[in-house]
Parts: sequence; structure tokens; C-alpha cells
Amino acid sequence: MLALFRCLLCLYPADFRREYHEEMTSVFRQAYDVSKTSNLLAHVSFCSRESAGLLLGALRERAHSIFGFNEWIPSRRFDMRLEFRFPRSTVFLMVLIFAGVVLTISKASGIELKYGSSSAVWPSLVLTLATVVSLALASAVFIWGILFALQRTGVHRLADLQTHSSDPRHGLSSGPSASGS
Amino acid sequence: MQIPPLTEPVLLVLLSLAEQPRHGYSILKDVERMSAGRVALSTGTLYGALRRLLEQGWIERFAEDEALRDRRAYRLTSKGRRNLQVEIDRMKHLTRLAGLRIARKEV
Repeated sequence: MLALFRCLLCLYPADFRREYHEEMTSVFRQAYDVSKTSNLLAHVSFCSRESAGLLLGALRERAHSIFGFNEWIPSRRFDMRLEFRFPRSTVFLMVLIFAGVVLTISKASGIELKYGSSSAVWPSLVLTLATVVSLALASAVFIWGILFALQRTGVHRLADLQTHSSDPRHGLSSGPSASGS
Repeated sequence: MQIPPLTEPVLLVLLSLAEQPRHGYSILKDVERMSAGRVALSTGTLYGALRRLLEQGWIERFAEDEALRDRRAYRLTSKGRRNLQVEIDRMKHLTRLAGLRIARKEV
């Protein structure tokens, strides 16, 4: 789990990692040691909460470093509460996944009808599934690449420039959620 | 000064630091204790909130021992304490108003 934690930390922007990597790892290690002594359900809940929290946190920090804001990313759905709640986006994703599964099954049925023998179906089915997974991964890498490229081009600096030109007091803000929180 | 309403995790982190300076793990445990286990912050959420609060000058970080980078503690600044008080006053006002409205409905 510590290895997974370190991998997920790599998704954070470099400056955030430089500042908080050691502290976060230390805090996680202490919490993980305590969680290991609890029952299985609590331990699984801890691991999933930490993973989801890190993923969303990385996304928020990336958005913050690129655009200078991160309020559009939900922060209190998965990682804040013990009771589970479905955000609307989850329902949409579930429908999408269900449609993908139905499509794969119908495709597999077509292949089975075409070749007749059940032994010949599995390689094609595996190939189809591998293609779907590869496409999903490629899309994720593509989106990540766009975000990375945007960061490199310095779009976030433009946002800073606009803020400074509109605010003569240069960076005086009223609260944590007022700018970029 | 107009402060946007704080989110629950941010409010709990500030309340935790209002009592005394704390390290990251101590904040996690205190937030869980204050909310009777209802709010369990993940490490990612906690450090996201701490980063924002540091950026806004509501809290500050200090090292008790310069050699230990992973044992740095956090404390409220005077700006953070003032803003927390404003938020608590806002909540008090809201609670009083809610009590009055509900009582009026019951009569």
C-alpha cells in the first residue's frame, strides 16, 4: 500500500511534492500502521479513502497549478465522509461502463456465431477487451499530456497576470475559497 | 470583511489548530475525534486544505527540529484566528435564526 501511495503521490505537481512529499508519507505511514490493527472492513475503507483522496487531490493540485483554481472538482464526496454517496458523475460513468459491457458481450456473441466453436471465441474476446482497455489508457495518457503541455506553456501565469491587473492590491484575498482554493 | 463560508474539512482543521499547534497526523486524529468519526480526512484532502490555508496566510508552518522535515507543525496566524471567529459568529447567527424560525412554525 505504501508503494501505491508513493505512486499516487507522483501524480501531484513537482512543487507540491517537493514541499509535502515527506510529511504526507510520514502521516500516511502512521495512519496506515493504526489501520492495520483495525478490522478488515475498516482497513479496506481506509485504503480506498486514501487512494480516492490522493487521486482527487492530485487532480485538484494539477488544476490549481495550471488554471489557478480548483473549485470545480468535488472535494467532499468520496474522501470526506464515512457514509457513501453517489455523485451524479458516478451514475453517468456506470451507465457508460454498462454500455461498454453490453457492447462487448454482443460483439463476443457475433464472433461466436461467426466461428461456431466456443474455443475460438476466447482469443477474440480477450483481444477485444485488451483493445478497449488500451483505448481507455491511451485516452487517459492523451488528456494527461494536454494538461502537462498546458502547464509547460505557462497558461497559469496568464491567469496570474489577469488577477494582478484587475486587483491593484496584488494578491490580497479574503478567504481560502476566494482564489484558487 | 466578507468571508465565503468555509467547507466542513477546512473549518474542522482550523478548529483543531485553534486549540494548539499540531502535526499533520495529530490534525487527522483530532478532526475525526471532533466529528465523532463522521469526518475522516484522507492525507490528500488534509494537505490540499493545509496548502490553501498556508497560501492565504490563515496558518503558518514551523519546524520544531530543523533536521526533521516530516515533523513540521502548523499553527493559526492572527489572521486565521480572526477569520475563524467571523465564521463562528456567522454560524451562531444562522443557528439563532434557525431556532427562532422553527419555534415560530411550531406555535
